[in-house]
Amino acid sequence: MATRNRTAMYRKHRDAVKSVRAPLSSSASGSGGPVIEMASLLSSNRSSYTPLSTEDPGPSSGDAFTVGLPPAWVDDSEEVAANIQQARVKMAELVKAHAKALMPSFGDGKEDQHMIEALTLDITGILRRSEKRLQKLSASGSAEDSNIRKNVQRSLATDLQNLSMDLRRKQSTYLKRLQQQKEGSDGVDLEMNMSGNKSRLEDDEFNDISMNAYQMRKLKKSEQITEERDREIQQVVQSVNDLAQIMKDLSVLVIDQGTIVDRIDYNIQTVAVSVEEGFKQLQKAERTQKKGGMVKCATVLVIMCFIMLVLLMLKEIFLT
Amino acid sequence: MSLVTAVRDYINRMLQDISGMKVLILDSHTVSTISVAYSQSELLQKEVFLVELVDNISKSKESMSHLKAVFFLRPTSENIQRLRRQLASPRFGEYHLFFSNLLKDTQIHNLADSDEQEVVQQVQEFYADFVAIDPYHFTLNVPSNHLYMLPAVVDPPSLQNFCDRVVDGIAAVFLALKRRPIIRYQRTSDIAKRIAQETAKLMYQQESGLFDFRRTEVSPLLLVIDRRDDPLTPLLNQWTYQAMVHELIGIQDNKVDLRSTGKFPKDQQEVVLSSEQDAFFKANMYENFGDIGMNIKRLVDEFQQIAKSNQNIQTIEDMAKFVDNYPEYKKMQGNVSKHVTLVTEMSKIVEERKLMLVSQTEQELACNGGQVAAFEAVTNLLNNESISNIDRLRLVMLYALRYEKESPVQLMQLFNKLASRSAKYKPGLVQFLLKQAGVDKRTGDLYGNRDFLNIARNMARGLKGVENVYTQHQPLLFQTVESITKGRMRDVDYPYVGNHFQQGRPQEVVIFIVGGTTYEESRCVALQNASNSGIRFILGGSVVLNSKRFLKDLEEAQRMTRPSTTVL
Repeated sequence: MATRNRTAMYRKHRDAVKSVRAPLSSSASGSGGPVIEMASLLSSNRSSYTPLSTEDPGPSSGDAFTVGLPPAWVDDSEEVAANIQQARVKMAELVKAHAKALMPSFGDGKEDQHMIEALTLDITGILRRSEKRLQKLSASGSAEDSNIRKNVQRSLATDLQNLSMDLRRKQSTYLKRLQQQKEGSDGVDLEMNMSGNKSRLEDDEFNDISMNAYQMRKLKKSEQITEERDREIQQVVQSVNDLAQIMKDLSVLVIDQGTIVDRIDYNIQTVAVSVEEGFKQLQKAERTQKKGGMVKCATVLVIMCFIMLVLLMLKEIFLT
Repeated sequence: MSLVTAVRDYINRMLQDISGMKVLILDSHTVSTISVAYSQSELLQKEVFLVELVDNISKSKESMSHLKAVFFLRPTSENIQRLRRQLASPRFGEYHLFFSNLLKDTQIHNLADSDEQEVVQQVQEFYADFVAIDPYHFTLNVPSNHLYMLPAVVDPPSLQNFCDRVVDGIAAVFLALKRRPIIRYQRTSDIAKRIAQETAKLMYQQESGLFDFRRTEVSPLLLVIDRRDDPLTPLLNQWTYQAMVHELIGIQDNKVDLRSTGKFPKDQQEVVLSSEQDAFFKANMYENFGDIGMNIKRLVDEFQQIAKSNQNIQTIEDMAKFVDNYPEYKKMQGNVSKHVTLVTEMSKIVEERKLMLVSQTEQELACNGGQVAAFEAVTNLLNNESISNIDRLRLVMLYALRYEKESPVQLMQLFNKLASRSAKYKPGLVQFLLKQAGVDKRTGDLYGNRDFLNIARNMARGLKGVENVYTQHQPLLFQTVESITKGRMRDVDYPYVGNHFQQGRPQEVVIFIVGGTTYEESRCVALQNASNSGIRFILGGSVVLNSKRFLKDLEEAQRMTRPSTTVL
């Protein structure tokens, strides 16, 4: 696709105009007179040149245009963006931790579990905090500002939602693989158990006591495993709930793609409409205020007072 | 490369090198250009947090210097003036100016003069000066489209503006595609000739450096034709999805406004019909009404199944899966209800206006012969109380276009009946149409009864019978496209501009219809492109017509040519 860059020509002309303007302003004594003359001189040279504005001669343009500070909510939004970035980094760590935990290891795997728990809690916490802060983005500022704020909210909300979904997906795959693994090992255990039982049943009876103890230990162990698995599932359920809540809240802010709300011209229209509506309301308010009964009442009262005064004076004059 | 991709590339390039929070400022034309190709959520991803119109931005006084402003405007004198006012008292930190077409040197000078604060960082020309509604269909949304029907003497400056806008649009399309074409035009149309010649002058003389692209083996072809060569297609009622929605309800920049047809819940009042974003629409936009009904029913059934399974959450996995799939579920729900609403509305309109009956006669008038039977059918429908005025008008026009020369007495009878039946009918409109697009003015063989080959083909078709009575009609464009594909376009009818000449078949063809395209024609082009004939066609027009729009143009043009006519 073809484009053409006109910046060079633009800059050249702008610099030329600037150099013309600068000596002009230095020679101007502050009155508009000589500046106008100079301007008209110049305009006669270039047919397409329009006269300089004579209101603001001189390089005081720097004062007129101060670099403003962004409004306060920008800090909030930047913080949320930083949080999202942090969450992303932690998610990468979580993925690594998941992978490590799933690998067969000699150790108990408890530290891995703890780390995974901690990371997951951490990330969920970050997401929840960011979401709360996003909701609270301050509502002050003008109409245009509020539009920008709304759009910033939307964009951050979309990012947050994507992160939450990502996190849950990773969690559910991890859980599934974990269950598979455990079932696998349990299956082996069960098998061993069954075959163990069979062989033991066929044994002598005075092995019963030791057999029972062995069975008791096996039972306890499987209980423990079940409890652990239960706990893990509870955790995942909890985080699924949390994330579901976040997503529900965010979905109010996020735009549905492909719908009318996602159209640029629709968004411009609604802004224009609401601004116009606001303007109309203001006008109406102004009119009703002008027509206001209060003003009429006050004027009537003042006139009455005046008349009464006059009457009083007349009475005095006639009596005396 | 599709036109939508070209516009998206332009927008991406505009935004990619500018970091930080941005404001995008558009004018009323570039809003359409961008809205059909880019979505609000994509803009947000690129950190564009505010989109405004340049007229509104001038009114506000608030300073937002932490934002960088990206302007994307047409280089008109009004926009330059507004920009100058902006630059004189800038509100934003940086100004990046992009124009959708060629800038004149004086305009650049004017802008540079006003830029005392030196806030402008770049001035570029990005040639997205057209509205790419479908990958191979564009429009220019020209405001006073009816001007093309008027002779040049009526309003020369307005006509010049019209031609300039069209030439700019066509030039932008070729700059976006990076091609310089051989140009041919329809001999019998003055405005087509004028536009073709002005485009050639721009591409080969005035800006020949800019258009000097790498030459391909066979140059692409630009064919400029006139709407009045095929007045039949915009008048017919349509039965394929996209064309039907436009005909019965109206599509503007891929948006359908349902508010005029009835009461709807807030989120269904305006809907988007875009083949890029809606997979169901993309698969069904060229299907006829019956098939669409079936496909929508299938879609609804699918959706109901998913909805039922969503209500059946028993295990944790189900719950997790539900939350996972919720966004897609919601999107699907919105999509299904959109299509169901549209089809329901259209069915209602078809019922009310008895369009099945009317359209049958229309298709007969368009495709088959038999003047006597046609006259009878039209008279019956004119007498039928439940036929609306606009449909009556269309029927008489279709009859008149075909049987203009045969039996003028009967034609007169029809005119009188029409005038007596339709209270709001402006007399002389049908005659005006005949004057503009009558058989003497047309080049192409609209009814397939000039060329022996066409007559034979028609007879064969009549004997074979048609699959669907309602979609028998093929627009004249189909024949044009065929003759280009076979390399058989006659130089007599479609001469070259200047001393261009083309050996062999072109690989890329842009057909521009002055006066407007229709969705039936864009369907024809899309199906041709899908058939892998080795040639890629792009269709464009000054507007996208339906019968209402075409009739409005006719009325406007008639009003302007005879201002002293009193309405009877």
